[in-house]
Amino acid sequence: MADTQKNYFDPKVLAGIANLSLRARWVVEGLMSGVHKSRAKGFSVEFEEHREYSPGDEIRRIDWKALGKFDRYYIKEYEDETNLRAYLLLDASASMNYASDGITKFDYACTLTASLAYLILKQQDAAGVVTFSNRIESFVPPRAKRDYLTQILHALENRGPGGETNVGKILEDIAGQIKRRGLIVLVSDLLDEPAEILKGLRHFRFKGNDVIVFHLLDPAELSLPFDGNILFEDLEALNLRVITDPRAIRTTYQQVVNEFIADMRKQCHDNAIDYQMISTSTPLDQALASYLSWRG
Amino acid sequence: MSLFFLYPAFLVGLLAASLPIVIHLLNRRRLQRIQFPAVRFILLSQKRISRSYRLRHWLLLALRTLAVVFLVLLLANPIFQTGAGLFAGGGPVSLVVLLDNSLSMTWSGDGNGFKQAKEAARLLISALNDGDRAALLPTNIAGKEVIRLKSQKDVLSRELDAVEIADGTANLTATLEKAYELLNEPAGQKEIRLITDMGLTGWDRFSIAALKRVDPSIPVKLIRVGRKEQPLNASIEEIRLGSQGVGVNIPLQIEATLGNFGAQEVKDVLVQLSIDGQNKEQKLATVPPKGQVTVSFQTRVSQAGAHTGQVSLKKDGLAGNPVADFTLDAQDKLRVLVVDGDPQTALVQSESFFLSRALNPSGERDSSLFLPAVIVPDALNAAALDSYQVVILCNVAALPDGFVANLQNFVRQGGGLLIFSGDKIQPDSYNQKLAQVAPAELREKKTGPEASGEKIDKLDAAHPALQIFSDPILLESLKSSRVWGYTRASARGRPLISLANGDPLLLEQKVGAGKAILIATTADRDWTDLPLKTAYLPLLQSLTHYLAGGKRGQLDPGIAVDTAKEIALPPGLVGKSLRVAKPNKLDVEVPIAGEKDRAVATITDNDRAGIYRLSLPAGAAKESGAPQMYAVNRPFLESRLEEISEAELQAKLAPVRAEVIPIEALKEGGKRTDLAFPLLALLIVTLLAEGWLGQRF
Repeated sequence: MADTQKNYFDPKVLAGIANLSLRARWVVEGLMSGVHKSRAKGFSVEFEEHREYSPGDEIRRIDWKALGKFDRYYIKEYEDETNLRAYLLLDASASMNYASDGITKFDYACTLTASLAYLILKQQDAAGVVTFSNRIESFVPPRAKRDYLTQILHALENRGPGGETNVGKILEDIAGQIKRRGLIVLVSDLLDEPAEILKGLRHFRFKGNDVIVFHLLDPAELSLPFDGNILFEDLEALNLRVITDPRAIRTTYQQVVNEFIADMRKQCHDNAIDYQMISTSTPLDQALASYLSWRG
Repeated sequence: MSLFFLYPAFLVGLLAASLPIVIHLLNRRRLQRIQFPAVRFILLSQKRISRSYRLRHWLLLALRTLAVVFLVLLLANPIFQTGAGLFAGGGPVSLVVLLDNSLSMTWSGDGNGFKQAKEAARLLISALNDGDRAALLPTNIAGKEVIRLKSQKDVLSRELDAVEIADGTANLTATLEKAYELLNEPAGQKEIRLITDMGLTGWDRFSIAALKRVDPSIPVKLIRVGRKEQPLNASIEEIRLGSQGVGVNIPLQIEATLGNFGAQEVKDVLVQLSIDGQNKEQKLATVPPKGQVTVSFQTRVSQAGAHTGQVSLKKDGLAGNPVADFTLDAQDKLRVLVVDGDPQTALVQSESFFLSRALNPSGERDSSLFLPAVIVPDALNAAALDSYQVVILCNVAALPDGFVANLQNFVRQGGGLLIFSGDKIQPDSYNQKLAQVAPAELREKKTGPEASGEKIDKLDAAHPALQIFSDPILLESLKSSRVWGYTRASARGRPLISLANGDPLLLEQKVGAGKAILIATTADRDWTDLPLKTAYLPLLQSLTHYLAGGKRGQLDPGIAVDTAKEIALPPGLVGKSLRVAKPNKLDVEVPIAGEKDRAVATITDNDRAGIYRLSLPAGAAKESGAPQMYAVNRPFLESRLEEISEAELQAKLAPVRAEVIPIEALKEGGKRTDLAFPLLALLIVTLLAEGWLGQRF
């Protein structure tokens, strides 16, 4: 039984499960078994907005009046009162579409995001998702409804990685759109200018948000395990290419990457930002554990 | 100082040294493409390590290339040599030491060259190890000894002790051929060392194409015995006779040509002539640089027969052959009986006047080889013909009956008869009495005015008595003479000279051991102007010589060392042998072979300079005409001390590789170092360094 549970968090196992919802549920249920449920429950229901009907919505929540008025199906949405609004920011740039063995960084990030969303929603907190590359690709505002996970997963599944990253600018844009304080969870490989990234993250902090950064890196990005003469082509900047023998630069490369991670960790720490570097070979429970440790 | 490889064929493997570079280039062409998100970190890393990385990269390539080079060199097993020592390692050595013992070695190394050469040879022999074999081969192989490779150093040393400087030129062709023949058997290493003064004369005679056996894989290493200074360099090039013939007590002129091969003038060299070991005359001569000078000596010999002579040079510090031997065959005076058939009170009008002057021009007893005695026909019966070698009848009308028998007997036993015609001669009497000896039957006399005289037209220039007319001046003189009176003759013998109208003027017939010649005109100028011509004297002397048996005193300058001497002998000696006593007191038996109508002994064993004395087989008449001795001289070109250049030498020996090592290098204790172990160490170090550096990537 313990082995089965452990397998839930193995990225390679997860990569074999096509359904993101199923992945998220397995991860979270596996993680939460034995963990006490959160006491933070939403109360009082408050109308927030109408939205167009989409398959899966409960029929009973169709606003029949609006149907009569507009001849279209609208769903009345209510906002749960909750003590947490979580924005899950997912980097969907081309560089995330890399896998040295098994799962791509984007798949890992999606699973992590979905798991977090499921966990948050399960605890009756509000969760929303923003996917971005060098622009905001999709924006699903946070809701505390239990069936909101479907919409979040829909946003995640409908988006494949592509385009260049511009994390710093995007974070600024998103910070501008978020009116209420909450939790900002950034899942990204942070392959951008560190100063720009931190500048964007600081914007969230200025507005009183809590920020968690999940820095995703493929194991190959950490160790550069290649042999022979190789022409490396960048996944985002197509004109960025270099020929080298990885054996010759491996040690230095690892130093450079470690320095980058250390710098990011330090900068985040200095700005009261939770920073977690995660290799895509790391079981997902460790990533979620860091969230739970924050959540208390 | 040089580098050799024991197994040079492996050096082809050096081509493999390019393999690391080729692999490197191929790897560069075979690129793997990888799409990667963190290229910026790779770029950053490259910038940091760029310089040291490239350095390590090239160092690694260099180490790999070096490793291949070291491995190939190790397989080829290089030997580093300083001086001229023998091989160390690499299997047993088969060594042939060629020792130049030609005459020029006498003057090499400032007089010590041959000694140095022998020391060098001894050093090489002493350097032989167990299992090595060597042969010592002098370039002038005196005997026809059987030479084999042997391993006993003491035997080789004894052989070396016995080698002496020869009198001839180095026979490098035969010596090298023998060396390659000796080395034509399996051996770890094969070596040929030639210790030489590099004398040009020996190499002039050398041709690699003449060798029956050559192995280009065995190089020839020459150990050069040099000379520091250019010595005075004069030698005797030629000895010749300046006068006509050699007779007892007749003034004898001997000329010696001295040559100077050097660049310095040879001043006041003492030139000495000795006959039969007795010093006869000394002269001082100065020989210009690269030039010649002729020194003449006047002397006499007091006894007939064979004599030895020598011309020698004496001067301190003189290099070059200082001695030339020769032999003289001195003749007693030829006694000639001249019968004057028309004596006159005034001698000049006598029939024999011109003839007797031609045989003894000065009229003095000791001035000519000929001793003519003139008598009148009445004295013929009293004449003792045995005292004469030749009888000359000048216009003698008729011969007394008693004399005719004596004369015929005289001719048959080897005497010579010369008959001149004239107005008094009675052809019928001659035809009747001298039919057995006269070369022709005399017929009518044909005379006319002097102006209508016939010219001499045809001449048998090949006849021994007429070979003097190979001189064009004499021939012209003979042909310019006119004959206006002569006795026509129907030939029994062989016509030697004919007139323009075809009538014979001079005929010969052999009778027994002697010869008879008829001259159809007069001995004086009654019928011809020949006695006034230049040709008359040499013609009469030559004919008289010929009739006397063809013997005439001569000077024989001899032959050069190592050339053959051919001795003509009477045909009856074929199958017998000739004993030759060499200057070194060794006797040689030479078989006498038949060749056409004569017997010939060919003496080839002329390896020592000096006088060779011949002993004819028992029963051979002394009058056979064979010489009793001959001289063998050192080849004067051996005195030329010029050396062959290294480039010329290499061209001469191609395709065999030649290397010249100064003898000093050998004496300085040449050493050979096997570089296999240092190379192995280098290879190991290189491989370790490569492994260590390779891991750093």
